[in-house]
Amino acid sequence: MTDLLRLQDIKVYFRSRAGLFKTVEVKAVDGVSLSLGRGETLALVGESGCGKTTLARTSLRLIRPTSGRIIFDGADITHLPESELKWFRRKAQAIFQDPYSSIDPFMTVKQILEEPLILHKIGSREERMEMIARALEDVKLTPVEEFMGKYPHMLSGGQRQRVVIARALILRPEYIAADEPVSMIDASSRAEILYLMKELQERYGVGFLYITHDIATARHFSDRIAVMYLGKIVEMAEPRELIENPLHPYTQALIEAVPEPDPNNRFRERKVIPGEPPSPINPPPGCKFHPRCPYVMDRCRTEEPQLQEIKKGHLVACHLY
Amino acid sequence: MSVGRDALREFWASKVSKMGVALLVLLVVVSVYVVLTYPLDFGLRYWNNPAYWADNPKAVPPEWWNLFTDKKLPPHVIKDFHEPSDVRDQRGRRILEYVYSFDFQYDEFPSFLSISLNNVTFSSRRPPRVEIFLDRPDNISVRLLRFTVTGPRPGEEAPYFRYVEAPNRVRITGDKNVFSALSAMLKKYYGLSIRPSEVGEIGAEKVAFGEPSGDGFKVLRGRYVLRAVVTGYDEDVDVGMLRMVVGGRVYGFSGTDTLGRDLAVGLLFGFPIALLIGFLTSTVTTIIGAITGVISGYMGGKVDTGIQRLSDIILNIPLLPILIFFTFVLGTEIPRLWVIIAILIAFSWPSLTIVVRPMVLQIRESQFVEAAVAIGAPRLWIMFRHIFPQVAPFVFAQLIFFTPSAILAEAALSFLGLGDPSMPTWGQILETGFRSGGVYIGYWWWVLPPGLLIVFAAITFVLIALGLEPVVNPRLRRMK
Amino acid sequence: MGVLRTIGIRALTLIGVVIAVLLMLVIVLGVTGLSDKMLKAIADQILMEIRQGLAREIKDPEALKAAIEQQRMEIYAAFGLDKPWYARIPDMVVRVMTFDLGYTRTIKSFTGSQRVADIIWERLPNTILLVTTAIAISAVLGLIIGVKVATRPGSRLDRVASYFSAISFALPTWWTGIIFIFVFAFYFRLFPFGGMYSAPPPEEPLARFLDLLWHAALPVTTLVVALVGSWIYVTRTIVLNTAQEDFVAAARAKGLPESVVRRRYIIRVAAPPILTNIVLGLAGSIGGAIITETVFQWPGMGSLYYQAIFSLEENLIIALTFIFTVVYVAARFILEILYIVLDPRVRY
Repeated sequence: MTDLLRLQDIKVYFRSRAGLFKTVEVKAVDGVSLSLGRGETLALVGESGCGKTTLARTSLRLIRPTSGRIIFDGADITHLPESELKWFRRKAQAIFQDPYSSIDPFMTVKQILEEPLILHKIGSREERMEMIARALEDVKLTPVEEFMGKYPHMLSGGQRQRVVIARALILRPEYIAADEPVSMIDASSRAEILYLMKELQERYGVGFLYITHDIATARHFSDRIAVMYLGKIVEMAEPRELIENPLHPYTQALIEAVPEPDPNNRFRERKVIPGEPPSPINPPPGCKFHPRCPYVMDRCRTEEPQLQEIKKGHLVACHLY
Repeated sequence: MSVGRDALREFWASKVSKMGVALLVLLVVVSVYVVLTYPLDFGLRYWNNPAYWADNPKAVPPEWWNLFTDKKLPPHVIKDFHEPSDVRDQRGRRILEYVYSFDFQYDEFPSFLSISLNNVTFSSRRPPRVEIFLDRPDNISVRLLRFTVTGPRPGEEAPYFRYVEAPNRVRITGDKNVFSALSAMLKKYYGLSIRPSEVGEIGAEKVAFGEPSGDGFKVLRGRYVLRAVVTGYDEDVDVGMLRMVVGGRVYGFSGTDTLGRDLAVGLLFGFPIALLIGFLTSTVTTIIGAITGVISGYMGGKVDTGIQRLSDIILNIPLLPILIFFTFVLGTEIPRLWVIIAILIAFSWPSLTIVVRPMVLQIRESQFVEAAVAIGAPRLWIMFRHIFPQVAPFVFAQLIFFTPSAILAEAALSFLGLGDPSMPTWGQILETGFRSGGVYIGYWWWVLPPGLLIVFAAITFVLIALGLEPVVNPRLRRMK
Repeated sequence: MGVLRTIGIRALTLIGVVIAVLLMLVIVLGVTGLSDKMLKAIADQILMEIRQGLAREIKDPEALKAAIEQQRMEIYAAFGLDKPWYARIPDMVVRVMTFDLGYTRTIKSFTGSQRVADIIWERLPNTILLVTTAIAISAVLGLIIGVKVATRPGSRLDRVASYFSAISFALPTWWTGIIFIFVFAFYFRLFPFGGMYSAPPPEEPLARFLDLLWHAALPVTTLVVALVGSWIYVTRTIVLNTAQEDFVAAARAKGLPESVVRRRYIIRVAAPPILTNIVLGLAGSIGGAIITETVFQWPGMGSLYYQAIFSLEENLIIALTFIFTVVYVAARFILEILYIVLDPRVRY
């Protein structure tokens, strides 16, 4: 069975003006390859600035990669003009981070949910109303009639994000890229929304690219986790394997950083990554992590490690292996 | 839409808006009234037709002026007779007598005296004879005038109809025979030797309604009777309507101009025209400006650059000289009004484009716009379903703001003589007043009201725009 | 380097504008047949002179007629009248630019000449005098009052100023002028009805200057009233917006005295957008100038427009439209250079 989505050696470089005459190249994504199977959830974990949002947008062809290929359902959509992408847009949807700005404040919930249906000419008026009602029920925004007429500013952050999810699912897409879907939602509602997404994903068999900086939620929600640092994937494995046996020093530090509720461990010293997250404008040579790596070797300063399968299903890019 | 309701509440809160809306309602009501009651070709048929205004006094102030002056000015009196006051049959002749008696207690002479005959019928070969008498309070009775209705033409058969389409109008105080009659009266009753031509120079109305005093004439106050006697030579003699006009020195609500046109009528006509010009121009300008602004901001690239260059060029061209040029050159082929509106629109839209564009640039980066792309919305859809509603409130406020400019521009053009002469817009009326030197002679009632109305209309919209401002610009809301 | 480049681009754009206007004028003239009319008038004038010369030399009427006809064809060809109007476009453009548009029918210059160029040149300084004075006064007043009002938002002064601005914006210039004439010239007999000097003008320079001032008082005031309203309002709004910015609050928090804050932070930053609005308001000034001159019969280009319209002198109108455009464009250019000097952000 072909993969749903395959990203081959995607590079996304931006040019930006810094000061009077200089232009600067930002290597947001610097050679990433991954594949997503149908109905699978791949979590992409990393700090701010590591390029995961850019990668998500590229996977949806909202940005064109500087090089590399995007293959969706066997079709190369890297360079297709927008006019030929309509079929893709129906099968691939997005859930963005900020529920306050990702829906049009001048539209009612009904209009927001109806828009994708109208654009893709789905169903008659009555059929669409039914689909909208069902979508609202899916995300547990009931009673449905009450919510249909509301405007976004009348809803809470959690409710808005449910609308966003409903909108993403109403076309029954095969692929959804969710960029930090719960980071702007109150902590109390987060779990609920995540479980909702998981339930709907299983019900409708959607492939998810789940982007987050929170490795804890990634563990619960995904089939595979990929760790990204400064535009490159440094480790990828199944959640359990990754958490129990993190190979890359960066992954190890990320896991260490997750607070543990066990009071007995409260005096354990944790390893903290020294230094600050670097900027993608001036990446360090060789292994991009080497300035902060506790195990740095000479080789790390000059040679970039490649992503290799060390154990079955467990890839890592590090000279330690 | 509750966003709209909040906006409305904010708008309504200030006194300025209330005043503006009140004035606007007034403007609209008057305009509707005018549109419903005036014929569409009013301009050509009535306004520019001197015959229609022939019975009005020329260049007199409005009636209410009498409240403010010490000298009481006589009002304008038009007496229409559909039936004679008295009919007598005498020696085979039928005599129709029309009597109008009035009490003249004013400090100024009437401006003129005239008589019109409408729809005269007779069947004898000898046409009827008309005589006009004036009985004065000092018991002097003058036969001012005597004339005969046009006789039967060769081949014409009885009954004979005269003055059916157009009345026969005689301006008594301008008639040489009347001068002679008055001259004779002066000689007979006052022993004065004043030649008929001199009577004409002094002014027949002064002699007819006055008594000699010192070097000139003083108004003779008292009871006057104006009698028109029509002597016919058959039983069928009939006058459909006889009109006597004692010209006043005040008239109507707004006075008259040098052609005798009732300025109130003309000014009223200006209401809907002003609103039409204002709204049409500003609506179309706003639409074009908003659309180009949205397209330019969203599409970017060559389209954006193109629109920006075009806007830049247009904005660098001074409006009035170009307006003058085009109106002058094209105004002979195409009705001036449309030329003015077209040019105003063509040269005003970029000013909105350059303001909308940066707003669109900012909105374009919003996440919901990106989400719309992800859903698969084509560019046009995004521009008008998502981006346009965001700029709509501002655009609407601009629409209100453009309207007075359009009205003022048209007025300015009319003032310079480039208006549409067939239609009495406020600017036109003012222009005629100015050109005839009204300013220097002091015809304030002619020159001030049109300007006042223009200001009034412009202020209406400015007030509304001021009231809209805090709605559209939230920063100003903070201060209230 | 960036500054020069920006200025250069601006200059090119503005030249482009002038050319665009010229083209537009010429094309419209061609389409409506007016250019034919005008050129013919000029050609015929020359023809007439030649005819007199020829008549003196050639006595035979047939030969005379033939000679005249031949001259006519040559002259017409020289003017391009034998070609359709669009072939003459470049020629017409040059003509308009140099005011080589022939003679007027009735309007004369002060010195009696009837050449279009003469008439316009001698009126130009009068208009510039009037307009620049009015603009200068309005700008200064507008700025001072605008800033004063902006530092006290919501006060009574502020509200009065707002109402005044709104009214001033709605007041048509010509009406204000007429009212002024009514009140001050007709009723109070304080100022003259119009014109630039009394007739005859006083000889002595000082008296002459005072006479000029006396005549200029009403028109200048009219113009100022028309302009100052919107300028006060615009200044007020911009200064208010700037004053609310955080960096101003920061400056105050630093303990800088209010006058310094006002000068360096508020006014300096608000100056560029205020300038932009002044630039935009220039168009209004030109319109206002035309009308004010007409109302007060100030012998400048504006009232010339009025007379030309009345007498149907199309060549004057064309020339005037062109020169107004040039003046306007030039003024904008100067102001934009000022803008670039004042606002460092634009330079790059």
